[in-house]
Amino acid sequence: MSLLARRTLIVAGLTIAAVAVALGIEYVLSPRSDQPLGHTQTGHAIGWAGLLLILLVFAYPIRKRFAKDRRWPKGWFQVHKAFGILGPILILIHSGAHFHALVPVLAMVAMGLVVVSGIAGQVLHYLALRTLNEQQRELAHQGLSEAEIQSRLHDLAGQEKTFRVWQCIHAPLTATFVVLMLLHIGGALYFGGL
Amino acid sequence: MKCLPANVFPLVLGATVIVVGWLGWASTRDPESLWAPGDLSRYHADVKSCTQCHEPFRGATTAKCSSCHSVKKFAAKSKPAVRDFHLEVMQKAQPCLACHTEHRGALAQITTGAMINPHGEFIFRATGTRTCTACHAIAAAKGGRLSLLDNAAVRDLIGEGEGAHRPGKFADCLRCHVGGQLEIEGD
Repeated sequence: MSLLARRTLIVAGLTIAAVAVALGIEYVLSPRSDQPLGHTQTGHAIGWAGLLLILLVFAYPIRKRFAKDRRWPKGWFQVHKAFGILGPILILIHSGAHFHALVPVLAMVAMGLVVVSGIAGQVLHYLALRTLNEQQRELAHQGLSEAEIQSRLHDLAGQEKTFRVWQCIHAPLTATFVVLMLLHIGGALYFGGL
Repeated sequence: MKCLPANVFPLVLGATVIVVGWLGWASTRDPESLWAPGDLSRYHADVKSCTQCHEPFRGATTAKCSSCHSVKKFAAKSKPAVRDFHLEVMQKAQPCLACHTEHRGALAQITTGAMINPHGEFIFRATGTRTCTACHAIAAAKGGRLSLLDNAAVRDLIGEGEGAHRPGKFADCLRCHVGGQLEIEGD
């Protein structure tokens, strides 16, 4: 089994396990089968907590774009990755497997696509960079000059760039998710009360 | 590969605007499918619009409930026990949502922690009371758990039982009062 296949399987397994655990928690915390957790004060609190974590995820792209020193905010990227998983897990606990109203369902689908595209992009990007570094070390070991190494790696670096296609899905879909999320929150407050 | 977010954003933004526009249009035609957490119960199947029960940013309010379930309607159309209980609750200005809920499906029970009267209507005839709360305190914070009050109605009932009316024997009146007769055979 290739490294890519193995890593993909691990990530897919962990994702499925996280979803199952979140749905399990929602089931256990629901007062009754006809009263989902999302309809309770606890469910609302978990939803707000998930929203808070998701909002913190945006610190990374904001810092990256507007940082004065133009340095890559590595710390905020760690926050982006961690809360980009934890926030949606809390939202999944908040919602459970109850899909009636279309607006929150669409928001959930958009959130799922954003998370999956983020995870997939991170995995692919990591593997591409690792391959590039390994090739670079091997060519240096063979005694090639820096210019020759750069020339040979040019095509590989081009391949790495193709992995960045995930950003085409990840970033714009985030905007769609935010709009749908705001609609859901607005609707819940409008009909359910502040 | 020329596929940067800057190039894709206008497309996604356009698609999002279309989706939001469609949601706005659909909200006027079938709001329940878009916003409601579940189908309305059979009791409220004839409700025409969300604002018939919901006040903007205040939720489903007692005032909205009372616009249909008024004191006058309870007095005219309900069974005595139901009527007296609800008139008492309305007099105390207790919120309807303390006991009732909605959007749990057409066949769902809309009274949370709905209690079945284990005594049957017989208990009201025997004690001369009209509501459960004449003899019981209902602890809302404990999921509607009942406790027996220490008042004249309860004391009379215990006294009349001559030892038979005690915890564990209260509930099923008709076990001894066969056929709903106040007198016990052999007395």
